[in-house]
Formats: sequence, C-alpha cells, structure tokens
Amino acid sequence: MEKAQERERKEEFDASEIEYVSYGGEHHLPLIMNLVDQELSEPYSIFTYRYFVYLWPQLSFLAFHKGKCVGTVVCKMGDHRNSTFRGYIAMLVVNKPYRGRGIATELVTRSIQVMMESGCEEVTLEAEVTNKGALALYGRLVFIREKRLFRYYLNGVDAFRLKLLFPQPELHPFLPMMADRDAAQKHDDHSPASEEFSELHRNL
Amino acid sequence: MDWKSTEQASMERHAPNHSTSTSSSIHATENTVWADASPLLETVCKELRDGELIHGENFNLYAAMSALEIMDPKMDSGIINKYASVDEAIEDGLAPVPISLDKTVDVQCIIDIIDQLLACEATWHKGHSLAQTVFSCAYLLRPERTLSHALLDSYCKVIRATCKAVNSIVSDARTHEEEDLFTMAYGLPLNVEGDEKCLSLLNAVEENISRQLRACKAPPSKRKLLEDIEPLQNNFDLEEGYCKALLCRIRFRKHFCHVLTCMRRPQGRGLELARKHIASCISELGIILKSEEFLMSNAYGTCEDGTEDRTTASGHQAIGFDASLNSRISAPTPPRSIKILSWKKAIEYFENLLHHLDIICSYLLDPSLDVLLRFVAQFQKAQPDLVARVHLQLLLVQDGKLYGRYPILAVIIRAARLPEVIMRHDIQKNEYVVQLGQIVINMLKILCTNAAWQRRKLGKILQDWRAIYVQLELAFRKEFGEGSSIANGENASAGILKHILIWVEEQTYWIAHRFLVLGFELELYSPSEYCMVYWYLYVVLIRLAEKTHLKMTVSDGSAKQKGKKRKDSPKDLAREARIPPAILFLQCQICLAEGLALLLAALRNELMVLQSPSPFNSEHERFIQHFELLQKACIPDLISYPSFKESTSHARFSSLVMYNYFKDAQKIAKEVKNSFLNDPDRLAELCILEQVAEHNSVAVNVISRVGALDPSLKVSFEFIHHPCFATVVVKRS
Repeated sequence: MEKAQERERKEEFDASEIEYVSYGGEHHLPLIMNLVDQELSEPYSIFTYRYFVYLWPQLSFLAFHKGKCVGTVVCKMGDHRNSTFRGYIAMLVVNKPYRGRGIATELVTRSIQVMMESGCEEVTLEAEVTNKGALALYGRLVFIREKRLFRYYLNGVDAFRLKLLFPQPELHPFLPMMADRDAAQKHDDHSPASEEFSELHRNL
Repeated sequence: MDWKSTEQASMERHAPNHSTSTSSSIHATENTVWADASPLLETVCKELRDGELIHGENFNLYAAMSALEIMDPKMDSGIINKYASVDEAIEDGLAPVPISLDKTVDVQCIIDIIDQLLACEATWHKGHSLAQTVFSCAYLLRPERTLSHALLDSYCKVIRATCKAVNSIVSDARTHEEEDLFTMAYGLPLNVEGDEKCLSLLNAVEENISRQLRACKAPPSKRKLLEDIEPLQNNFDLEEGYCKALLCRIRFRKHFCHVLTCMRRPQGRGLELARKHIASCISELGIILKSEEFLMSNAYGTCEDGTEDRTTASGHQAIGFDASLNSRISAPTPPRSIKILSWKKAIEYFENLLHHLDIICSYLLDPSLDVLLRFVAQFQKAQPDLVARVHLQLLLVQDGKLYGRYPILAVIIRAARLPEVIMRHDIQKNEYVVQLGQIVINMLKILCTNAAWQRRKLGKILQDWRAIYVQLELAFRKEFGEGSSIANGENASAGILKHILIWVEEQTYWIAHRFLVLGFELELYSPSEYCMVYWYLYVVLIRLAEKTHLKMTVSDGSAKQKGKKRKDSPKDLAREARIPPAILFLQCQICLAEGLALLLAALRNELMVLQSPSPFNSEHERFIQHFELLQKACIPDLISYPSFKESTSHARFSSLVMYNYFKDAQKIAKEVKNSFLNDPDRLAELCILEQVAEHNSVAVNVISRVGALDPSLKVSFEFIHHPCFATVVVKRS
C-alpha cells in the first residue's frame, strides 16, 4: 500500500486551482472520512468525526482540486482545565500526490485564524515524532514542541505535543483583544482534559 | 459510510450473544430484569434520518472516541478471530500434548515454543499487553494440560512465575503511564498452584538432559553401561545438538529467575549474587545464539525463509500460539494486532536488559546523594527500558529510606554537608523538613522514569521545591529572630536550616538543569530556539555553580567570605586556584552554553539567519512557552524575556572573537581532567566537552572571518559529540 502510493506520480497543478471551503454539511463528511482513513494511523469511529464537524463546523476546512477533495483539517476548541480557552487540531490530511505545495499550511492557517478570532489563547495538537512533514509544517508556523508523549500512538510511536501561544494582551498592552471571548464560550463542549484524551488515544 | 447500516449490522451481530448471556452469565437481580431492546432500537433507527446523531450532554470527545464500529477491521479485532474460546482452539488441535509422537519432532517443536516465548516476553517488556504476547501461548493458558510432559510443563511453569515476578515489580514501582498496559493481567493464569515449584522441576529436567548429553557423547565402549538412559529423541546424530540447544535455554531461564529473586532482596543484599546469575544469563544467551545454525539446518518440515522477522531460531512457526486467543478478556477495548519482536531482537533485548541490571547491581549503594544523582543520570543515558528502570527505582527507595538503609533525613543532612550528630536534633521534627524528605523521595522515583515522562514531572516538581524553600526560609527567619535574642547568640536550628536552605536551592537548580538538558535528548528544541535555550541553560548553570560553591564554602567553615562569594561571578572564581573541581566542571559547561547562546545571537544579528517570523506570535511567546514552568518557580529570580533580549541583542562576531568562550571552556576542560582520574564518567564527559569546545572555537573564527562576505556559508548545529552542547558545523553550500 505504502509503496504503491510512493510510486504514484506527483499531481501537476497550479496552486490557484485549489479551492478551499469551510465544512458545509453532511455531504462533506464521507470526503473527510475517506481521506483520514487512507492517511492516518489512528482508526476513528464515525462518532469522532461527527463530534468535531457538528460542534465546530467553522473550524473544519476542505481543499478541492477540480471537484476532488484532496485535503482536510478537523479541529475543536474549548476550555482546557477551566482555565485556558484552547484550540485543538485533531486531524490534518493532504492526499499524497498533492503534498509539498502548501495545501496543508493553507488549511491549518485558516483554522488557526478562526481560533484566534474566536478568542483562543493557544492551539495544540499531537504529531508522531517520525512524521517529519507535519513537524516541519508546524515548525514553520512556530509551534513549539511542548512535551514528548511516550508511546502515545497505538503503533507504539512517541508523539510530540505541539503548541502555539497567541500573543497575550498583558504582554502587548497596545494590541486590542482578538475577539469577544463571550462569543467563543458558546462552543464550550465539556471536553475531557487533554491528558485524558491522550490516554484515550493510547488505549483505543 | 452509512451510519444506520453500521448500527444495524452491529445489532444483528449482538442479538444472539445477548440471548446467550441472559441465560448463562449475568443474572437479573431484585431490581433488574432482562428485556429485549431490539424493537425499541429498531423504532429509534427508523426515526433517525441519514446523518443524524444523538447527542447527549455527556457525549464528549472521550465518549466519541471510545465508540467502536463493529465489523470495521481497523477497530473490531473480533472479526478476524479464528477461535471463539481457548477451549475451542484446543479442541481444534492448536496445542497438542505431546506435540508429536515422533520424539525428534516433539523436541524440535518445544525449542520453537521456547524461542517464541522469549520473543513474546521481550515484546511484552517493550510495552504490549501480556494477553497478546506471552499468553498468546495456549499451553500457558491451560496449566493442567501440560502436566504429563515434564519438559513442557516445567518450562511453562517457569515462564508464568517469571511473568508474575516481573509484573509485581512493575506494579510496585507505580511508574504511571508506562505500566497501564504492562500490568494488565486479569483473566490470565498468573497465579497457578504449583508454579512456585518451577525451579526444582526445571532442575530435574536439566539434570536429566545433562545425563542424556553425557550418554550420547560417551565413547562406544562405555555406552553399554549407560544404556538404561533413554535418549532425548530418536536420531542419534542429532542427540548432542538438541540436548545442548535445550540445556542453554533451560539454564538461561533458571538464572534469569534467580536474577529477579536476588534483585528483590531488601536493602540490596542480593546484588552481588545477582551479578553472578546475570553473567551466567549472558553467557547462556551466547550459546543460545550459536544453536541457531544447528536448529535451522535440522528444522522439520518446510521452513519459513530465513528472514530477519522470524520469531524462532529454527525459522519454523511455533505450535500453540494464537494472538487473538485472549481478545475477549482484554479490556478495555479489543486489542489491535501487534507485531512480535523477532527472535534475534528478543535476544538483543535481553542482553541489554541484563547489561542494565548489571549496572544497577554493580552500584555501591553510596550514601551520598550527589554520587547517587550522577549515577542515575549516567544510567539513564543508556536508555534502559521499563523493567530495568523499575528495578533501580525499587532499589533506591525502600520503606521510605534510601536503599532501605538510610533514613531520608540523614541523606539530606549529608547532602547539605552537616555533621551527622544533627540527626539527634529536634530539627527533624520540623514539618517542612519532613516534607522535604517526601519531595526528595518523589524526585528519586521520577528520575527512574522514561525521559519523556521524567521531564514533564521534573518541570512540575520544581514548584514543590520552590514552595518548600519559601517555607524553610520563613522557619529560618523565625528561628534566627528568636535565636538572636538568646544571650549566648548561638542558635543551632537556625544554623542547620541555613545549610539546608542552600542545599535546597542547589538541588532546585540541579533539577532545572536536568529539565533543560532532557529537552535536547527528547528533541524538543528547534534550531531557531537554540539561542534562548542555551541562554537559559547558561543562567541556570551559573546559579547551580554559585549554590554548589556556596554550600562547599559554608561547610568548610570559611564563613567570613560567604557574604561576598554570592556576588562573585563564577567566571572570576574560576581563575582562582582553590576553585573545587566540581565547580570547574560546571564552569566549563557555563562557558560552552554562553558561547553557543552568543554565537547563535550573533548569527541572527549579523547574518539574519535562524529567525522564524510567524503570522501568529513572536519570540516572546515562544520564550514563555518553553520556560513557563521555570519562570513560575522563579528559577532563576528576576529572569525574563527582556533580560534575554538585553543580553543577546548586541552580540557580534567581533566581540565573540575577542572573548572566545569556547577557548575558555577548552582550557578549563583540559586543566580539570586530572582531578577526575578516579571518576571515569565525568572524565569521559570532560573529554567530549573539550572536543566540542575546540571545534566550536575554530568555527567561531571561520564564521567571523568569512561569514559576512560569503553568503553561501551554511552554519548548522549538530549533536555529533555531545547530546546537549551542539557542535558548530560550517559548510559552503
């Protein structure tokens, strides 16, 4: 499977041909699921997908090339330990022949932008330590590697917890607040603390 | 995917199971009845339209991710189950006893089973569940079935006993996240009656095979006398080879069992004997490896190719194993398929494990905390796995004492360089001193965990160390205030607390230092962050050196100088001949860290490299993120992002060349090496530091000469010599 994909030739296209759309409803769900199933190691149930796209449709984006879905990002946001309003990037996938052309960066930048405008203080995610592509991408967006999670994934590989801290008003007194925080609070989701979430990944 | 059809499929699959469980396993109680929910579910399903989701208040991410889709091969390992139960597998002939009526084949098969069990055991130690590894062997799951086969039975017994011993030591150590899968053993027969006799049974079997070996090697003239000894198997030409292959495997097991028992003796009393058994284990492993050729050339039937993945020496698939045998008792969710380590990798694993255990056993249980902390840090450099690390942890902390021998307060008093008579003083009843004992024990346990977990916990306990410092300081002020009113002017408590305070500060900086250094080993820093990391490391090292020096000075009784000492920078101190080697050792690292921080800063200031502009935040936020835990604990005081900017924004190559920090580091390393001739670890470290310093000193000169003129010059920072102090590599692209 892996090898077959490697042999697949790179798709020829112009960056302007890629169309980015926000999650638009149920018809997008199978497109997202197919992409993620193909490319990510973790198996997710349909409940996981629905959990994200129904609660935070504004944080999910899809990339299309000539009508074909070639990339997607799925995220959430909410209170973390009742103290920090945090965005979380759950899945980011670009079809192999379309990689290396900035599609993932564009997708994830759009989500982060919305998170920032919604009053998030920080954004986090986990990435396999062996996933050089993802690490380089988030490195360019200056996510820092906050911690390493020992054998985090089901396949036994360690993960990095990556984190991006948005400018804090107390550090930059002249910056206006990014957005009205109360508006964002509507999306509170009673989500478990991130550490619990990591346990979950490991045990599934 | 259509959610409704998935749901229906799962219901259909569950329906028959429900009816059986009603009758057999779970009975209705006074307040409950069993009812068929199928009609209700069917109605609900009809109500739901495609894509609709029932979303309850408590349906959070945890619930969403815990849901499994039945019949999805990625999630439902049950659909690939070959057998419904162990009994069904056995009825189907998975694990026959004897394995073959042909005695030669029987022996060959047993050797394969032994090899596969070794591979499974190593896989378990490496973090998979017992149920999917060692207990994928049907022979282990049904102890009564092997009774008639002395060899197989005694071997199964010793495996179960070993697993039980290892499982219990890991549970006792409570190393949190690593153990959760490791110790999960319910439903598995780990406590089988009779397993405690495994060693005597195995001894009897070993003796018998030794006799068989002697018999087959005896010259023909004597063979007659030995005829009453039944050979191991029927083929005389292969008798010697099979006897030997079995003997080394049995002996390895025996010694390994002894290693585990000896190492668990209280107060480290069994360590010396454990070393002998470790040596025997290693030598038997060597013989096991050598038996490969014989076993491969005589393997029965068709063999797998001699691939590197094979889990037995012969290359033949072992009989009696099925990875899915326990899938029904493995909570919380069905396990996914795993890959068992190869036989070669398993032997490698055990060689490493034994080597790491040997390092532990050869440690002299030094009562000095300094020596101990260096030992643990050195031990961790070898990246030992869980089983070795828990052995160390349980050796260090027993019954709340160091090695079960020294009360923790005595250890602290020694570390703070106070005379031991203090132990009789009331100070040990001080509640903060008692708390301090607890956080020292906590630190020791954390230092034995894996590097990733260790760093996270070290970052967190810095707060505890800071808090205890503040409390002790208050206590000190109180005592001192009271003491000064006493006519004779002497106050023992205040004096003791002062010593302890200095030591607590020193120890706090030691933890902070380790926290920063582990970040390199875990690859948490990116090149654009190196500048701030080395700068912070430099600041922390300076304080560590100051506190260590202060501790030494105060305890040496040179009290007159202490007020002044604090303000002296260690750099000036280094030039004085009386600086202790331990401080010079730190001094060398201070120069390296400072040199690297300023070189990185100069590269940014003059060549505009290693900058990382971001649309979302600035370097200030990155600084906060990396050092948040240190900053929260005021480590060090008055250090913040502006102080970092202030010390680095003016860095230039011209000044770096004028004052070459790397040259200083090199000089110190060279001079102080002689003081560490009896300390091979630190001597080796110094040699590496000297090498890095020399290399970087040259690099600084090259960059400053041609850097600005030659835009094709590429400077990179690589950890080719030292895990934390980068070697500066200059190349033309």
